[in-house]
Amino acid sequence: MSILASAKKQDISAYTTKEDSCPQCQRMRYFNERMMLLVGPCYHRMCELCLDNTFSAGPAPCPECQRILRKNEFYQPIFEDLTVEREVRVRARMAAAYNKRQEDFKSLKDYNDYLEMVEDLTMKLLYEEDIDQTDSIIEKYKRENNAQIERNMSKRQREEKIQRMVLDQEKNKKQQLREEYLRQLEDEKREKVEAKNNIINALATSDKSAKEILKARAVQLKKSSLSNRNAGRKAQLELEALLKSATEGFYDDDDDIDIEEIDDGPFDPAESPYEPVVVKLREKYDDPTPAFRQGNLAAAGVTREMHQRYLIEGAMAGLFEPPFSDSAKSPSNMDTSAS
Amino acid sequence: MATTHKPQLYQQTSQYRDWRFTSESLAQQRAANNKQGIERVLQGLREEAQVDDGSGTSEARIAEATKNLLTPNEEVELIDYYLQTILTYTRIYRKENLLKADAANNVKATAINFVKRFYLHNVVFDYPPKTIMLTCFYLATKVENSFVKIDDFIRPLATAEIKRNGKALTKNEDILDLEFVVIQSLQFELAVHHPFRPAYGFYLDMQAYIDNKPLLKEVYERTHHYIDQSLYTDLVFLYQPSQIALGAFKLAAKDKDLDIDPYLTECFEARLLETLYTILDDIQEAISSHKPTTIDKAREIDRKLILCRNPEKNPNSKLYKKKAANQEDAPYVSDSDSE
Repeated sequence: MSILASAKKQDISAYTTKEDSCPQCQRMRYFNERMMLLVGPCYHRMCELCLDNTFSAGPAPCPECQRILRKNEFYQPIFEDLTVEREVRVRARMAAAYNKRQEDFKSLKDYNDYLEMVEDLTMKLLYEEDIDQTDSIIEKYKRENNAQIERNMSKRQREEKIQRMVLDQEKNKKQQLREEYLRQLEDEKREKVEAKNNIINALATSDKSAKEILKARAVQLKKSSLSNRNAGRKAQLELEALLKSATEGFYDDDDDIDIEEIDDGPFDPAESPYEPVVVKLREKYDDPTPAFRQGNLAAAGVTREMHQRYLIEGAMAGLFEPPFSDSAKSPSNMDTSAS
Repeated sequence: MATTHKPQLYQQTSQYRDWRFTSESLAQQRAANNKQGIERVLQGLREEAQVDDGSGTSEARIAEATKNLLTPNEEVELIDYYLQTILTYTRIYRKENLLKADAANNVKATAINFVKRFYLHNVVFDYPPKTIMLTCFYLATKVENSFVKIDDFIRPLATAEIKRNGKALTKNEDILDLEFVVIQSLQFELAVHHPFRPAYGFYLDMQAYIDNKPLLKEVYERTHHYIDQSLYTDLVFLYQPSQIALGAFKLAAKDKDLDIDPYLTECFEARLLETLYTILDDIQEAISSHKPTTIDKAREIDRKLILCRNPEKNPNSKLYKKKAANQEDAPYVSDSDSE
């Protein structure tokens, strides 16, 4: 997600240099490798020891700006420049409250107006103009749109989860293909060695002539290595295709493939005119319909498998059909440029 | 990656072809129907004023009607109330053993769907939902292959009415006369696909991934409750049955503290899930935010409806009686004869 979330998970370490020193006690990193420089909500730095000293008795004023602070408000900054740090945090705070999306608005103009309004508020916070007023506006907005903010937040979290899942699935697939490819390479190597040993054995034990044995073996070897090479080649091609689709992004559209190029195989007059629904059936289900519990027939020619296939196909039919939209009905591919 | 261009079977259903809308187009259509319906009501009242001997009451009558016209929203609320009664009737017919247990769900759902489809092309001013609901129910028993004879169908209604009012009000003709009108408004498309079958399919399919079988069974039973709720919403016009079923399953799983996400992530590709989750969110929100119309509210709207009914379609009005009388006098001309 954002930099802040990664920092919380410690994927990104805090910014440090060799020349760091605490502005309060002037202690330098040169003397203490593990010195931690922390930053409070007023964006003034302080080392851990000073922090402990200053706030040991509860809330106290910041030594630089006299703002009353607490110890638990301090954190390790990620950026060298504290204005950047501040902007990132202000923007994160705004994004948590103002998380409407374009689909929440009737028109693009409304959405743009909304974005501009949010940006204005952000700028006010960043340049410290009317902070109190801006804060109250934000708080009011949060109160009024509480339900929607939460809904959009959970939506976003789920989208991120799904994105992660897509990546994981693709990674697993790639890994599997790679393992397959390596295994094939190994198999081929082993086979070659085996074949060689076989020839030596045959030469040593059988009473045929050496020439005959060698000829038979050569034919066999050629065959097996050919089939292996084909399989290996196929895996290689698949791997390449997968890599390509992964780099192209999530939504690779295959729409521009010429329909005529696709080979559907030989013509079959008895073929179903519909796309079959692919379902995997298990051996046994806990079926609440008593008629099918014993595996006998409920009607002439209807088996339990047919019944269950019918039900599961029904569940899968149109599951991913997008909701109906008016634009889908009107012909979208009308060629206007031809006229 | 060869992409075949065959259509899926579910895309060939009339439900997919003709009964999918966006929530905006639904609202638009209802508003337009309402507007036209109001015009017809006023036109009918004016005609009736001419039929009347002109005793001066007609002006007041029209004024009263205009004061009590229903908004599109009130129409939907009134229809919603009568949809609730379908549930009661299903229970009564089950008790009388006129409906089989495994057919009851489908009959109920089909009846509700017919009413909803009917009022996409009609308004309550012309056809009050009370009788339309009964006709749709009667039609649904035929469509779902559990036909109830009209005399059997009327009997529980009559006994209930006798208990309440002292005499039976609903007659066979009330239901049968409207049957063709209803079928016509349904555009002769009577096959409806419900979330029940997909939910059953999901229940079977999940058994492979979720170890706690008794809990899963409880969740599945709870799912039916949410599917019943979903029938009253407009979801059937917006999403596929399998999607609604899965949304109901998620709601039920939340109730029973079962996490079905592992099933989804294991079965489907993450990038497909991304689109599915937004759909499921919509469905879950629509189901849980649906509030049935209370009987008091329905009564209030019904009282208004009595005043603003279209006299042209009201069998008790003078205009209707006069027109019917005229029609009987006129010689019968078959459509095929008139050239």
